[in-house]
Amino acid sequence: MILAYIGSGALLAALVMGGFATLLSFWAGRQENAVMIQVGRRAFYAVAAMVVVASAVLETALLTHDFSIAYVVEHTDLSTATPLVAAAFYGGQEGSLLYWTLILCVLGSASLLASAALGLRLSAYAAGILAATATFFLVVLVLVASPFDVLSLTPPDGLGLNPVLRDGGMLIHPPVVLAGFASFAIPFSFAAAALLANRSDAAWIAHTRRFALLAWTLQSAGLVLGMWWAYHVLGWGGYWGWDPVENVALMPWLATTAYLHSSQVQERRGRLRAWNFGLVILAFLLVVFGTFIVRSGVVPSVHTFAVSAIGPWFFAFLFICIVFSGLLLALRAGGLKSTREPAAAVSREGTFVLQNLLLIGVVVVVLWGTILPLVSGLFGQERVVGASYYERAAGPLLVGVLALMAAGPLLPWRKAGKQAGRALRWPVAAAFVTLALMLAAGVRFVPALVTMPIAGAVLATCAVEFARAMARGRRQAGWANMFAPLARRRRRYGAYLAHVGLVVVVVGVAASHFWQLEKDVTLRPGQQVSIGGYTLTYSGSDQRQLADHSELVAAMSFGDQTLEPARATYAGLGGQSLTHVAISTTATADLYVILVGTSADGSASFRVLVNPLVSWIWAGAIVIILGVVLGNVGERAPVRAPALVPVRAAS
Amino acid sequence: MTTTLKWAAVMAVVAGCVGYLIYSASGGSTEYYLTVSELQSHHQAGDVRVAGIVQNDVVRTEGGLHVRFTEKDSTSSVVVDYQGQLPDIFQPGITVVAEGTLGADGVFHARTVLAKCPSKFSTTPYTQ
Repeated sequence: MILAYIGSGALLAALVMGGFATLLSFWAGRQENAVMIQVGRRAFYAVAAMVVVASAVLETALLTHDFSIAYVVEHTDLSTATPLVAAAFYGGQEGSLLYWTLILCVLGSASLLASAALGLRLSAYAAGILAATATFFLVVLVLVASPFDVLSLTPPDGLGLNPVLRDGGMLIHPPVVLAGFASFAIPFSFAAAALLANRSDAAWIAHTRRFALLAWTLQSAGLVLGMWWAYHVLGWGGYWGWDPVENVALMPWLATTAYLHSSQVQERRGRLRAWNFGLVILAFLLVVFGTFIVRSGVVPSVHTFAVSAIGPWFFAFLFICIVFSGLLLALRAGGLKSTREPAAAVSREGTFVLQNLLLIGVVVVVLWGTILPLVSGLFGQERVVGASYYERAAGPLLVGVLALMAAGPLLPWRKAGKQAGRALRWPVAAAFVTLALMLAAGVRFVPALVTMPIAGAVLATCAVEFARAMARGRRQAGWANMFAPLARRRRRYGAYLAHVGLVVVVVGVAASHFWQLEKDVTLRPGQQVSIGGYTLTYSGSDQRQLADHSELVAAMSFGDQTLEPARATYAGLGGQSLTHVAISTTATADLYVILVGTSADGSASFRVLVNPLVSWIWAGAIVIILGVVLGNVGERAPVRAPALVPVRAAS
Repeated sequence: MTTTLKWAAVMAVVAGCVGYLIYSASGGSTEYYLTVSELQSHHQAGDVRVAGIVQNDVVRTEGGLHVRFTEKDSTSSVVVDYQGQLPDIFQPGITVVAEGTLGADGVFHARTVLAKCPSKFSTTPYTQ
């Protein structure tokens, strides 16, 4: 009980402080009053401190089973394992909003600590926008979705966590994906502040890029962990279903991917400034839009979301953000125009621009598919699109992006002209070799014959870049220093490593998509099923009693291995039974067995799938994140950009 | 032609491609999202998705790989016939979305049956 009061009190204090920090920061920024700007910034740190207190209180309440608090009752019970009780912090609506606010405040504080170099006005405005965003979340937390609501009667036990969520993945996927979502607010704040303050110099680019990269990395990890969870825990045989919930997590990631590439054009050539602002702002708007969609239940989704009171609040917030950003861009972007002639199409910057256009195209495709039920519902009968829409509309655009990954790194800045053909000889050769090998292997499926050779070309491009750098190092300082150029320009080579990782992911996605095999069978003990070179024998089923559930386990043996797909039944949860899929993973394919059910006569029904190269997706994702981390952690901002000291006023 | 014009042309081409892809891809794969009563009142050719509540008459055969049940909304109901793996939380009382076609026999032949997943943001499945 006392914990609930401390928690609500901390949130209320944070809300008041947040309002104060917002107003003071904007006012002081306008006046360029250094002392008051500092006060405003410290007020934001105080908000962060209060939110940390509230979060600690909620976590304590969960771990000490304080069932006087409604949130604790609704999401835990005494039998739930301690790590999962701790995870209930972000497992429900109210807690996840608090967690979101926590990440926003902590990362926001970190970004403000490092913002002094950006100038008084810009850093003050950024603090103001961060504080305003935090204040919005605090209003929702205090008024409509408080995690500290107290029950009039304290029940002896809680309701417990849904069995689907009783998995180790619960400890890592939601916090990463929510942190990713929350962190997009930081590049947004600095972009909007730069527009307000009319500044976008090299220090701003480096600062914004750093936090955009952090958001991108968190979101990448969150997306892959979500895929991993869907594949290993939910047990439907796939890892991506184009559900609105997945789509809204993908869109800001795509926009930020575009930004991370086009920001290099600004860094190197001083171009695309207005466009970059637009991308950073778009990513944040997509986050707010996604949160609105997901939390309000306006779009039919496989995931049911409690139709809660926070929908209208997020809609209002989205509306304000769109109007604010739209006005800012409209009023200020004119002053950002580069006076130079735009980039030539066949050049490094040309490929970046084209890649950006294609990625935005993918965002449009995904956005349209996601909101179609809303839009069509306004004009008549509600309509929805299936996975094939996304594959057919986004697929060709993504293959285009892949092709640009093969060409871009080898093209020179400014203008490639006649040398382009020569520069691209290796990737083109690699593409033809891959194509020939595939044709020789008997592949006749056109999408595969397009995707795989282009993936091969990207790999060749990365190999050429690495080989050239290492050859340069050897020429300059001998074999021992072969890797010196890679370390010296690690941001660049980290990015190429990430490209290699992406190729591995693409190959995994393409193979598991194009060549998946599936079979539904009903077998008696001793009977066999053959699929894709595997022969499985069903040897019988068995009932097992575990701590909080019982399992019906069927044994399927192949070679010297036994797979044990099962159905788990949890008492006290409406007899809900849950698939525990059995997977045998090798580098070339996953054998994926789902137990559908058993009959009284001893036979059992299975869904058996062979998913080629799925493990490549997880491996490639690790390489991508490794590349980004190796390339950027501790990296100092490069100081080679054409200095773009104060942009001239938008007169 | 100036470089600016060239880029305008590139943008127009990309926008055109995106528009065409959206148009052509949605042609084959948009489906109507209906309630059971809407399904009964205006017949749609082709695949549709029908949302409704599973009634107490679920009959599973072939070890659970073949299932027949009644899906109902506030006013109408339809018999759904489905071959394949059902979602884990499938049971009478939950809302499912069946995707398929209404046959001439009045039975809805489903290609997929999706259940509304219990979500980490919703506690309703446990309190019921």
